[in-house]
Amino acid sequence: MAKTQSLHKESVGLKVVIYIVCIILSILSLMPFVIMFVNSTRSTYEIQQSAISLYSAHPIQNLMKNWKVFNGKSFDPATGFVNSLIVSTCTTCLAVYFSCLTSYALYAYEWKLRDAFFGLIVGVMMIPGTITMIGFYQAAYKVGMTNKLSLLILPAIASPNMVFFMRQYLQASLSMEIVDSARIDGAGEFMTFNRIVFPLMKPAIATQCIFTFVGSWNNLFVPSILLTKRNKYTLPIEVSLLNGDIYKTEYGSIYLGLSLTVLPLLIVYAILSRYIVEGVALGGVKS
Amino acid sequence: MRNKKLVDYGKFGYIFSIPFILAFLVFSLYPILYTFIIGFTDLKGLTATEIHILWNEPFKNFVTVLKANLFKKAFTNTVVIWILNFIPQMGLALLLTAWFTDRRSKVKGQGIFKILFYMPNIITAATVAILFTQIFGYPSGPVNTTLIKWGLSAKGVDFLLTPGRVKGVVAFIQFWQWYGYTMVMLISGVIGINPEIFEAADLDGANRVQTFFLITLPCIRTIMLYVLVTSLIGGLNMFDIPALYAQDHGDSGGYTVNMYIKDQAFAGAYRYNIAAAASVIMFIIIVLLSLVLFYIMRDKDEAKLKKLKKQQLKLAKSKKAY
Amino acid sequence: MKKVIASLLSVAMIAAMAGCKTQTTQSSGAVETKPGETKPAETTAAPAETTTSETTIKESYGEGPVHINMWSFTNEVPNMAKKYISLNPDFGKKYTIDVTIIATTNQTYQPALDAALKNGEVDMYAAEAAFVLKYTKGDGADFAAAYKDLGIDVDKAIKDAQIAQYTVDIGTRGDGNLVALGYQATGGAMIYRASIAKEVFGSDDAAVVEKEVGGGSGNYDTFWKAAEKLKAKGYPIISGDGDLWHMVENSSSSGWIVDGKLNIAPERQAFFDYSKQLVDKGWCNETTDWQPSWFADMKGVSQEGKDNKPAFCFFGPAWLINYTLAPNCGGEKAGEGTYGDWRVCKAPAGFFWGGTWVLASKSAAENADKKAGVAELINWITLDASDKGLQYMWANGTFNGEGGTKDCVASGKVMETADGKLDFLGGQNMFPAFIAANANATGKNMTQFDEAINGLFREQVNQYAHGQKSVEDAIKTFKSNVADKLGVES
Repeated sequence: MAKTQSLHKESVGLKVVIYIVCIILSILSLMPFVIMFVNSTRSTYEIQQSAISLYSAHPIQNLMKNWKVFNGKSFDPATGFVNSLIVSTCTTCLAVYFSCLTSYALYAYEWKLRDAFFGLIVGVMMIPGTITMIGFYQAAYKVGMTNKLSLLILPAIASPNMVFFMRQYLQASLSMEIVDSARIDGAGEFMTFNRIVFPLMKPAIATQCIFTFVGSWNNLFVPSILLTKRNKYTLPIEVSLLNGDIYKTEYGSIYLGLSLTVLPLLIVYAILSRYIVEGVALGGVKS
Repeated sequence: MRNKKLVDYGKFGYIFSIPFILAFLVFSLYPILYTFIIGFTDLKGLTATEIHILWNEPFKNFVTVLKANLFKKAFTNTVVIWILNFIPQMGLALLLTAWFTDRRSKVKGQGIFKILFYMPNIITAATVAILFTQIFGYPSGPVNTTLIKWGLSAKGVDFLLTPGRVKGVVAFIQFWQWYGYTMVMLISGVIGINPEIFEAADLDGANRVQTFFLITLPCIRTIMLYVLVTSLIGGLNMFDIPALYAQDHGDSGGYTVNMYIKDQAFAGAYRYNIAAAASVIMFIIIVLLSLVLFYIMRDKDEAKLKKLKKQQLKLAKSKKAY
Repeated sequence: MKKVIASLLSVAMIAAMAGCKTQTTQSSGAVETKPGETKPAETTAAPAETTTSETTIKESYGEGPVHINMWSFTNEVPNMAKKYISLNPDFGKKYTIDVTIIATTNQTYQPALDAALKNGEVDMYAAEAAFVLKYTKGDGADFAAAYKDLGIDVDKAIKDAQIAQYTVDIGTRGDGNLVALGYQATGGAMIYRASIAKEVFGSDDAAVVEKEVGGGSGNYDTFWKAAEKLKAKGYPIISGDGDLWHMVENSSSSGWIVDGKLNIAPERQAFFDYSKQLVDKGWCNETTDWQPSWFADMKGVSQEGKDNKPAFCFFGPAWLINYTLAPNCGGEKAGEGTYGDWRVCKAPAGFFWGGTWVLASKSAAENADKKAGVAELINWITLDASDKGLQYMWANGTFNGEGGTKDCVASGKVMETADGKLDFLGGQNMFPAFIAANANATGKNMTQFDEAINGLFREQVNQYAHGQKSVEDAIKTFKSNVADKLGVES
């Protein structure tokens, strides 16, 4: 009797610790979002005097003013939004589909160069990004491929990180028996992948969608060098223009721009978050 | 139709890899080769286009990099910051994983916690850097105001002054941004474990702690390897946060290798050759470290299993041939 | 449910963006900052009032058959082209200006501009103080066309318009040809609080204060005496050592690089001691430029959670008053905040801070069709001192209609006739102090490495000032960092 009671106490104590830790971490996670949203309803003057604050003297008025500043620049937020959406969506789709295909090639087939190819993928993952990018820009300028959204999208076909992840997932979750039975039914290899395997990978795809979409949506460095025409700007470039418009940096409208930039991400995240909650089974084959 | 069964499936491995390989060749290999070659040349200066390979002293640029105090410092900083961030990050992620995957007592609201913990990863580095610059601001900022109010410091602490503080803050930001991601990965690994293993452990009377250390941890070794390797690669390539937060502060305490590389190319001297040589050196270091990790954490059973599988396949093939 | 809310949200957002797209807006309150950077002051151009109000996105101005490609990091210079076309419709019938704007943040403007220049895709381009040297004397100098090759009689025009000498020095290439000129003058003066001056020195008169701080003396001895007097009443003389740095940097007798070697001018060496005593004696509030505590000194209040007294003065050009001090003073008319409590006098040493220069590319000069158009625009922006020229409107605040912000311009002739009275300065005419400052500013000692070297230097000075290192160690580290980062040995 006493023993169960102490056990009970122990687990209650543990629960309390768990909740305290989790709540503190949650506050830390939400803090930047709250500050961002609140600051978009504050005036530049208020923000400069105190950047981290939950107080705004005239929230609605300031929000309207910040919006006017953001919208009054010589670019168009709606165009930026559409461009960002095109780039991020296409990037995510291409990256996910071809990574699944490649990882399937690595997992399901026995072929001579397989291990070498896998080694190559791991090797590519390790290359420092900074300097390879410089060569990429110079090539892009040489062949006159600037201001083409496709140049931001197509490289996603080769996403070594995701291939690695997907291969890991297939190892844990795909039984070759399913593939074999599809083959017996007379399905071609390509059809088997598209109709059977690809849909089965949905949980892993959802998780990777979040990672890729976020990365692509927030990408500033590559687009800002490759896109110089205003009708090709993505949303982060427009926000950075507010930031870099030297004599007229409006904190309020920057925070508004940042908030608008993050909103679609929150939506995508909300839609796909159940896969984060449920989790994706990963691991080496053990069963 | 009948013949299909006799098809050599291996060729599909090649066919399905073609898009990846093509994209890789066009968009990655050229810049990579370009970098390697430049490392052996005298290419510097904004308008320079002609490349002269240094036949007499091919490794001159590499020697320059390895001799530079700033590179050594940057390398040490990068490693220290990565370790300072990775250990608590992995520790917290493991702890949360243990709590959230405990089958005996469910943490209520864990769904919402998981969603929230990943959220710092959604914001751009620039925004994060702005916010933390303000939060740790000196002489006044939320942290310092609090320290003064509680009497912990008379004047406030200049978090950008000493190398140690700068490293601490950068590591903290990295930790805060990535522990959620690591947790999501680790939980995925635990879910991938066959439930029967846990049931067997229960039958043997293992308690929570024992189950976690003796069953869960060994079983998610592959995932931990993945997290470790990707984090190592990301960590050694660290750029955004230290560049935005710690550039020209704290006696180069937050200066990382990637900042060094970028400075060589762009800070005014346009030493593309040195930048390229430094990238190649970093590449070699990362490959070596990753190989060590792969070796330490290699799965001996899996290697055996693989061999066995290959033999079976051969056997099956030879059977088909008959 | 989640999905429904999510899609509703996204629809609402798109609608909001599209709906407000056609509004015409005028933005007020111009504030100059870059929140993401720890040291934005180094990359700051002189600002000017521009109110963009466009209903549709326009990438080009004019409709002529000859296209001129213009590159800039803000919409300031492109707006000038637009204005010129609206004033001279004939120009718009002959030429079309195609505009490319890339913000300087993350150093994206320069790599893109460099690549485009190499491809001959740029005809006119703008560069700001932080990196203009690269395009006038440094690695990018060969891209630029000499103004005289565009058909401009430079020597005569400079003389006639009395262009500030330092902007000419900066725009002159190694071969002696002028390739760039600015339209603003960014000579810096001392901007101080009248009420504090009255309390400490007994008068807020510019002549009295100038004497008290050694304005125009070329040294800091008197300035430190004033600091002591101010401290006796509790006031720090300046906000942070960054405020002093621009003056020290730009008034030194030699630059960072002499004969290919790193050189520390005695004036810059002295900054170690200046910075140390500012901290040790409490002569500054230890603020960093563009951070909240710096702005608090403009508002004249204590820092959050502290009870320090606000700083006495700032050092800067006219734009610092217009775009930084005024919006952060805590009021909009006399009596509110520190509005009307500021005055201007000569700073101890001459210096300048920021500015934009305009260049034409060699390829434009070699193209017979483009050449005349580019020359006409550049002449109007940088050298036309008549009342129809850009600089006249700029100085008198009439670029966007009456009542705009008044700014200092490069042409001394324009400045002579312009009126710089500001309510913010209690009705004082700011121009005399700034004209003197423009004459004292020197652009001879700049190099294309300045931005990088300044950062490394200030970092080590800070280490010394806060007792982390000895001067010897700090200089040793500084030299080694410069050598490792830029390949410049000492």
